[in-house]
Amino acid sequence: MSNATFEPRLVGFLCNWCSYTGADLAGTARMTYAPNVRIIRVMCSGRVDPQFVLKAFKEGADGVLISGCHLGDCHYKEGNYKALRRYKLLSKMLEQFGIEKERFRLEWVSAAEGIKFQQVCNEFTEQVRKMGPLNLSPNGGQHE
Amino acid sequence: MINLTIDGKKIEVEDGKTILQAAAKNDIRIPTLCYHPVLEPYAACRICVVEVGLRGKTDLLTACNTKAQEGMEVQTRSKRALGARRMNVEMLLARAPAAEPIQKLAKELGIEKTRFAVKDPNEKCILCGLCVRACEQIVGASAISFVERGTERKVTPPFGEPSEACIGCTACAYFCPTGAITYEDKYGRKVIHEELHLGPTTAIRVPIRQAVPMVPFIDTDACIHFKTGECKVCAKVCDREAVNYDAQDEVIEVEAGTIILASGFKSFDAKRIPAYGYGRFPNVISALDFERLVNASGPTGGKIKLADGSEPTAVGIVHCVGSRDENYNEYCSRVCCMYALKFAHLIHEKAHADVYNFYIDLRCFGKGYEEFYHRLLKEGTKFIRGRVSDISDMALTKHEEGKLIIRVEDTLLGMVRRIPVDMVILATGLEPGLDQNQLAKIFNISCSQDTFFLERHPKLAPMSTFSDGIFLAGTCQAPRDIPDTVAQAGGAAAEALALADKGTFALEPVTAEINKDLCSGCQVCVGLCPFTAIVYEKDEGHSEINDALCKGCGTCVAACPSGAAQQKHFRDAQIFAEIEGIFLV
Amino acid sequence: MTEAAKEKAFRVHLMVCAGTGCVSNHSFEIKEALEKEIKKLGLDNEVLVVTTGCNGFCERGPLLVVQPGNIFYQQLTVKDVPHLVEEHLLKGRPVKKLMYTPPKEKTPIPVLSDIDFFRKQVLIALRNRGLIDPEKIDEYIARDGYVAMGKALTQMTPEKIIAEITISGLRGRGGAGFPTGLKWQMVRNAVSANGGAKYLICNGDEGDPGAFMDRSILEADPHSVIEGMLIGAKAVGATQGFVYVRNEYPLAIKRMTIALEQARAYGLLGQDILGTGFDFDIKIVRGAGAFVCGEETALIASVEGRLGEPRTRPPYPAQSGLWGQPTGINNVETWANVPSIIARGAKWYASIGTPTSKGTKVFSLVGKINNTGLVEVPMGITLREIIYDIGGGIPGGKAFKAVQTGGPSGGCIPKEQLDLPIDYESLTQAGSMMGSGGMVVMDEDTCMVDVARYFLSFTQDESCGKCTPCREGTKAMLDILTRITEGKGTEEDLSLLQDMALAVKDSALCGLGKTAPNPVLTTMRYFLNEYETHIRDKKCPAHVCRQLNVYTIDEERCLNKGKGCDLCRRNCASDAIQGAKNEAHRIDQSKCIKCGVCFDVCNFGAVKVD
Repeated sequence: MSNATFEPRLVGFLCNWCSYTGADLAGTARMTYAPNVRIIRVMCSGRVDPQFVLKAFKEGADGVLISGCHLGDCHYKEGNYKALRRYKLLSKMLEQFGIEKERFRLEWVSAAEGIKFQQVCNEFTEQVRKMGPLNLSPNGGQHE
Repeated sequence: MINLTIDGKKIEVEDGKTILQAAAKNDIRIPTLCYHPVLEPYAACRICVVEVGLRGKTDLLTACNTKAQEGMEVQTRSKRALGARRMNVEMLLARAPAAEPIQKLAKELGIEKTRFAVKDPNEKCILCGLCVRACEQIVGASAISFVERGTERKVTPPFGEPSEACIGCTACAYFCPTGAITYEDKYGRKVIHEELHLGPTTAIRVPIRQAVPMVPFIDTDACIHFKTGECKVCAKVCDREAVNYDAQDEVIEVEAGTIILASGFKSFDAKRIPAYGYGRFPNVISALDFERLVNASGPTGGKIKLADGSEPTAVGIVHCVGSRDENYNEYCSRVCCMYALKFAHLIHEKAHADVYNFYIDLRCFGKGYEEFYHRLLKEGTKFIRGRVSDISDMALTKHEEGKLIIRVEDTLLGMVRRIPVDMVILATGLEPGLDQNQLAKIFNISCSQDTFFLERHPKLAPMSTFSDGIFLAGTCQAPRDIPDTVAQAGGAAAEALALADKGTFALEPVTAEINKDLCSGCQVCVGLCPFTAIVYEKDEGHSEINDALCKGCGTCVAACPSGAAQQKHFRDAQIFAEIEGIFLV
Repeated sequence: MTEAAKEKAFRVHLMVCAGTGCVSNHSFEIKEALEKEIKKLGLDNEVLVVTTGCNGFCERGPLLVVQPGNIFYQQLTVKDVPHLVEEHLLKGRPVKKLMYTPPKEKTPIPVLSDIDFFRKQVLIALRNRGLIDPEKIDEYIARDGYVAMGKALTQMTPEKIIAEITISGLRGRGGAGFPTGLKWQMVRNAVSANGGAKYLICNGDEGDPGAFMDRSILEADPHSVIEGMLIGAKAVGATQGFVYVRNEYPLAIKRMTIALEQARAYGLLGQDILGTGFDFDIKIVRGAGAFVCGEETALIASVEGRLGEPRTRPPYPAQSGLWGQPTGINNVETWANVPSIIARGAKWYASIGTPTSKGTKVFSLVGKINNTGLVEVPMGITLREIIYDIGGGIPGGKAFKAVQTGGPSGGCIPKEQLDLPIDYESLTQAGSMMGSGGMVVMDEDTCMVDVARYFLSFTQDESCGKCTPCREGTKAMLDILTRITEGKGTEEDLSLLQDMALAVKDSALCGLGKTAPNPVLTTMRYFLNEYETHIRDKKCPAHVCRQLNVYTIDEERCLNKGKGCDLCRRNCASDAIQGAKNEAHRIDQSKCIKCGVCFDVCNFGAVKVD
């Protein structure tokens, strides 16, 4: 499979208040962006359990995006700081598993930033496309 | 107490009062020029001279600084007093023929024309010294004084140069009874439409006519007392002793169930577009300036006047100033088209001037708006489609001389035109308030990209925010006109009331819960909760979540090592299933 | 004087006048010449040359008085010196040709006290004039100086001093004539604000044109002023005094400075004076040359460093003056009178003068008069005595017309009132005032409208401009007077002038404005016909207002006497004179600019003015 035709499968965990609304804005504004990101809504980026990310990779994701409110703007005061902490730790851990850290991304997208969401999606898709599919293990990719 | 008679009337006054004060208290008018109640009497104009009889001697004394004495017989209009007063007014009329108070006084005293030589027919200064004394006694700056003597006497800063001692308070101009003192900005230009800056810019004022409570406040940035420690004129004239210089801003705490934000907008500062010359040409004014000018209670009594007092014969109205412009604000301010049309109508009505509208599109979107536009077309307002490139006073032809020239590309004719006018009104747009971002943070809501407040949903929840119980109304959310604002405010009020009226509050359904059987009591979640909703029950050895406090962010759930904490509707299993579901396709 | 000379007795003292008038006439050079000549003749052990303050007879300067003998020499030049020294000092023969000969007389009067000018004078304020060197305190002390102060400080209570001054009847010599004792009493009674000091001021801001009384006293006898102030200080309880002198009087400032230093060095000024525990010191403040600063409130403002502008009284300076403290302010001459009163007693002083005005008054006699100079006369003396006996009458046999007293704010008194005894009240009644003592004599060649115009132009120029009537009124009146002198006046102008003068007098703020119309009012009162002639006939009877003059040439006289000398035509600036040499000349009236040059140059009296 050449990279040109490779369509990466990406999972996005989006916070309900900012990024999910931002994505909604991108949609209502009829902005087109890469359809590769599949969105899972969580109430807060702080809700994203590292297990979710691991699970996503395990299920066959080529990249995972976590997106929340800008720092200081969290609907729950500080959930996004917790997400940031977990992201840093998890990135290091992923590398030990053999997953490049470029496949895991944290972005702040506010409810008003439809355009930014569009850009993030497009960029991330292209980035992962260049990297090619994630090969975890011989028997990976299938849930038992 | 002291007993005296003024014009035959028996009067009793307190010790230490002047004849003038005694007379004023009894509604006997003695004309004055150099007197001001908050300044030390100067007794220089000699207009308030009265004939005073005391202990068998009569003398002509100035009422403003002569203390009332027991047994005084004062005549304010005796032949001797009137004769001297009349002569002094007549001499002042020769000195300052353009001074209105003198003209008025002369008329009152029956002086039609002065018999003395007039040096300068435009002179207004009567050398009353109010400005000099105000600067010394009120401001404490002593930045101006008299120089020269005799008829050469005049008021000036040291050596006629702008003085460093001047704090720019314009108290001198305020005290000047004849308008002889004008003030200029730092480039030596007359302050734009100076009458627009009088009145509301006093340091002590009622903020707006509709203010509640209707009491004045002191603008500490403008107040002379807060600059030099002097002045205190307001306290001197306030009989009720209500002026308090020590008052501080107070933080008032109000407990409220719901909040409606209606923090409004800021008008676009037209100085940001230098090519339009606002602040440089006295007759280029902003929409708000014009509103003040045509206001019947405004400085000109509603007459449309140029800076020199004459009426304009041609007026240009420039639309979209600061709006629909990538350099400033991309959005349309919505209100300018219609108020600009209203201005055009008012100018037709009041000044009979030619009106040119320079527009990009005319957005007459509301009920009756388009009809109003058609009415204006019939009235003869000229509409030129095209963005104005600049406004200058550089005349190329004779009929442009002394005019402001508006340069515009007429996109309907496909040519650049130069339109000479007397006055330009800039239809300035609406901008978000200055502290919009700060407010958003305080109320935990968001701003859209243009920094207006972000509504929860543009169609489904246009006055709600992402914070429960906080609603939006008016231009803090987006530019809108009065009808729209009223409608939205009504909606916001209704939503707020509905919430308050119900008396009960629907809790967030997505709260977290802890399975007591699984919880090991590690307390990781307790420290994480931003709402202190989790309490560790020591006796039972596990943590518990208070449903009323939990907002349902799920941070605890994500951190729980044993999976005891779960978020309703966002259980781990549910999300895992979602993830799996994604990859089924 | 060297130290040795100080203790030596001299046979003869030569008192050379070093008043400003004589100094301008080179009296210092004469002094040097005298000393040189004396040395040359080896008389320097016998003869001492002394410079004194103003002698008073300024008209005749430079002056020299030889003592003993009181021989009066006048109008000396350096060239006269060798002859004079040789004749008088060596040979003992006084030089007649250098003595004073009254006009119309032939025999000179050798002795000073025999000269009319000096004979009728009574010297109190000027008691030391011509007798001491003002720069030497010892000479002042030798003339009983500081005796009165010693008496006041050691033997008298403040109440006693004030009582003495009150009984003496001394009134302010600055012009207004306020009783000095009463003023001191006010200052003494006034409570100082915040426990501050009380002040004394000596008003030496002499600004009247032609007046130099204060200047002479400050230059000739500064210690008399210092002593007067010291007595006043004790009386009112002041600790600091100021002498306000105009900067145009450098000699007065210099001599006052020297006097203050010497007094301080002798312990007569400063801390613990004469060991009595009494402190008082004096500073000099120099005025910047504004006439209005002679007004006490303006002067105080000037001392404080503010704009020299008057303010309304009350409060009077005695209640709230310098820096808000009680301040006693008196004129130079008043202060100079004080030591004599204390030394010789109030009764003696009160015996001189009239019932309301006691003592003497110094006048500066100037104008069209033979004996210009400074005179001190007892109150109650008539104008006639001053002008004809002391002043020696009008020069050139001209007729007396009027005398202007009281400076620019005073009025003109006509010849009908020559027998008016001079005191404060009589002068005020005559429409004039005492003022500081200026006396300008005018003869028949004076135009009274022009005089009024001149004095008004002075007050107009000196008006500080604070109050409307003075600032605008003096200017407007001046405009009208100028109009009248140019032949453009109307009948209405006269009534307007009268109305304005009264309004300004009535409503002006300070003394300057209140008195500024006096010259107009008195000239209109006594010389209304001159105004009318100017307006109706467009003529100036004295031919002073040139615009009204018509110059013509008596052709017959021009041809017969002058043989058509052509001098007038050559001098005419506007080519208005026609006529060839040796022919009669004529003036083309349409071209004549009335400059009067032809009249002045014609040697044959052919040019007539009408």
